[in-house]
Amino acid sequence: MNKKIILLVVFAVMIVSVALYASSYYSQLMQMQEHRINVSGPVPINLTNGSPVLGSPNAPITIVEFGDYQCEMCYHWYHNTRADIIDNYIDTEKANLVFMDLPGLGRDSFTAAQATYCAEDQGKYWEYHETLYNFQEAVDNGWASKDRLASFAFNLDMDLDEFNDCMDTAKYAKRIKANFDEGVRNGAQGTPMFLIISPDGTVKKISGAQPYSVFSQVIEPML
Amino acid sequence: MFSSTAYTILAGVIFFVMLIPLLMLSEFIFVEPFFIFHIPSEQEFGFVLILAVCVMSAIVIPMNIYRIKILRKNTSKIGTSIFGSIIGASAGICSCGPIGFALISTFGAAAGTATAFLSNYEIPLRLGSVGLLCLVYYTTTKSISSECKIN
Repeated sequence: MNKKIILLVVFAVMIVSVALYASSYYSQLMQMQEHRINVSGPVPINLTNGSPVLGSPNAPITIVEFGDYQCEMCYHWYHNTRADIIDNYIDTEKANLVFMDLPGLGRDSFTAAQATYCAEDQGKYWEYHETLYNFQEAVDNGWASKDRLASFAFNLDMDLDEFNDCMDTAKYAKRIKANFDEGVRNGAQGTPMFLIISPDGTVKKISGAQPYSVFSQVIEPML
Repeated sequence: MFSSTAYTILAGVIFFVMLIPLLMLSEFIFVEPFFIFHIPSEQEFGFVLILAVCVMSAIVIPMNIYRIKILRKNTSKIGTSIFGSIIGASAGICSCGPIGFALISTFGAAAGTATAFLSNYEIPLRLGSVGLLCLVYYTTTKSISSECKIN
């Protein structure tokens, strides 16, 4: 009898999990739909706390990436899709890219994000960003510890005293928090998430590490 | 047993109910802004393991339901098979997606540690789950053949 009850409980948990997922997914879809209807005219997203712009600041389209340096899907997007976007849209000045931090996966996500802005102080934001995605390992296994972050800075010929001072004083903690809040305000429910901002200010959202073809199908009609 | 339509339908339902959400959570299927199915490079093995977990669950769970219903046997094997299915299904799905994000936002550091474990050990957990389901399949098949033997 007890075993039957356990079985029933397990089945109930499975059904509730599927239902929860379905309802969360449905609400996400609804939110996206609402967002698409409401967003027109001026750009609603505040990019001031994000990364330096990659590409031409005058490019008609802006791609905003919300990511976490410890997120495996962000790693896959970086290695499978990003290069094509840079070749076809960033280098051709059709679009530019801004990265905003959404660090939530582990304790080292936040410090890794801080390190990129400390690198920006020395004009090496994007080099540091690329280093982090090239050396990403498992969440919180030490690959993004303070010592390792300093060693990345050393390899990029940065001034280590300045970098360590920036890290120790948590100079950019508020900036990262502001990025996180901006992501949540714009409906981020995971990483990576992308907002494609067209010249007329309309925004299209792409959630997840989607392939280049999806970005192309979203961006081309905007040009 | 699978000559019975009811059990074949049950197996199909279990397979698809597990497969579709898992493929969506593991970012092999996207429905917005367009429907797309793709397997990124370096994730082929993860895809094969998801398929294996779903196929094995769809075989083993109906077999054990049959065993309980028809042969009136105890429920320990179905418990193990459901446990194996849950482990296989939950491994990796929490990493960067909405479920992990919601868990970490709600429960903080503890959920962060749990989701980090599930994503860091995704492949070993799924392999373990497939192994467990294969073991249940083997013992269930043996049990059904001996219990159904006509003396």
